[in-house]
Amino acid sequence: MSPATIALTMVACIVAGTIIFALLGVHRVKMTPEQFLLGGRNFGTIFLWVLAAGEIYTIFTFLGAPGWAYGKGAPSYYILSYGTIGFVIGYFLVPQIWRVGNERNLLTAADFFVDRFNSRRLGAFVGSLHFFMIVPYVTLQLTGMQILLTIAGYGAYDTTVAVAIGFLVIAFFVFTVGLRGTAWASVIKDALILAAVLFAGITLPVVFFGSPAAMFDHLLAAKPGWLTLHDGGSYPPAWFVSTVLLQGMGFFMGPHNIAAIYSAKSGDVLRRNMMILPVYSLVLLMIFFAGFTALVVMPGLKGTAADTAFVLVVQRHFPPWVLGAVAGTGCLAALIPVSAHLLGASSALAKNVLGDLFGIGTSERGRTRLLRALVLIIAVMAVALWIKNRETLVGLLLLYYNGITQMFPGFVFGLAWRRVGAAAIAAGIVVGLAVAFLPFSPPFGLNSGAVALVANVLTVVAITLLLPARKAHSA
Amino acid sequence: MFPLRVRVLRVVLAAIPIAMLSVAVPLVNRVEPRIFGMPFILGWIALWVILTPGFLFAVYRLEGRR
Repeated sequence: MSPATIALTMVACIVAGTIIFALLGVHRVKMTPEQFLLGGRNFGTIFLWVLAAGEIYTIFTFLGAPGWAYGKGAPSYYILSYGTIGFVIGYFLVPQIWRVGNERNLLTAADFFVDRFNSRRLGAFVGSLHFFMIVPYVTLQLTGMQILLTIAGYGAYDTTVAVAIGFLVIAFFVFTVGLRGTAWASVIKDALILAAVLFAGITLPVVFFGSPAAMFDHLLAAKPGWLTLHDGGSYPPAWFVSTVLLQGMGFFMGPHNIAAIYSAKSGDVLRRNMMILPVYSLVLLMIFFAGFTALVVMPGLKGTAADTAFVLVVQRHFPPWVLGAVAGTGCLAALIPVSAHLLGASSALAKNVLGDLFGIGTSERGRTRLLRALVLIIAVMAVALWIKNRETLVGLLLLYYNGITQMFPGFVFGLAWRRVGAAAIAAGIVVGLAVAFLPFSPPFGLNSGAVALVANVLTVVAITLLLPARKAHSA
Repeated sequence: MFPLRVRVLRVVLAAIPIAMLSVAVPLVNRVEPRIFGMPFILGWIALWVILTPGFLFAVYRLEGRR
């Protein structure tokens, strides 16, 4: 067998094995929308841990993070910082969101807005934004998967078809088992990622330099200044601070994150999870080691090619089965989160737009059928969009966070300040998105999403104080 | 609602790791002294990632069972 065949067979076995494991794990239950989207709201600590970690550690962990370490150096540390900040904020915010979701029987992230601000139109607005933000996030995962498959095939195959097939298999998987299947698949995926990352972060520096410390010595000798932040340029210290705070606040704002929160059995389960999850972030430290090793061993990759650095080192210096195992794990890191994204996007469309606004699919059976149909439709749309337009990994991720973080004020005000109304929240989101996506660069290298978030909050506060106090909404 | 002392303490306990991982990072922006071979700035961030669960556990104990 050629090396490419060995590696690609390995990839196929890992993906297929995980799906079969998850299908066996899920008990046959009657699929209500609540079962399908939220696993019946009874996930305990461990299940929630793999689900939450599974949604957080995506293909970006695998390619984007080492790519930044390789291509940009110290600015990549932000990836390690913001997750932990996200967990600290999440410790306080997430159990509150869960409590509202549980007491009011909420199904989607946008439902939170419907309930707290008493407005179905705001819910439909937020729901459609979720939909539009999730689709590019899905294309990000597909781009990553193609990079992996191309390297695993030693460049001998056109992998577009393989990516599309893998993705549609996952869409059918979600169609069948819903969120509970995603959680089961995450069990395998997380175990493999942990193994792959420990291999990458410890074995690579040891094989090439004897120890991680020696690897840093080589890197510092070759590129002094690479491992610290610098004024001027695109990523000064102010950029670092504003970005980690922004993305820390955006950490749990995705519709798939909110679904994971609703799926918890209790608020205590969530608090304990937020407490332990930072330790899991150390995985990222290992992945930096891998990226830095690649930079010393194989310098010269420019631009988006940096994303491929770590896997290329594995391809050149390790046997095909190791490459296959790494690439297969990476494909899981793309596909399993995608299944949660598909559920998030389809629930927003089915419940908040089609259901609340147009009265389509409001019976329990009708809604389950609609959700399943939308999972497939969105999957096909995402593939079509991806084939037409493939962007770099980090660019897409930063765009996602700039947009999704604009939902943060809605959650905080919805919990803490009863006077805030739907109009103020909607205006804040519109202003925030406008500032985030207008082509201007803020001073001191600040992250434009952070500036947008400040504009968003100021808009909400100003409108709320200017409007006469409205009647308190149902608590 | 928690008593005032508890509420202040949990905000302080949460603010420390957030500050150390954000605004404090430009202040430790150097290579030496190395921490387990890592440049100081990276070692600092990793250290605070490891310490954060301790701070959150303190908050958890403070809040008691709910």
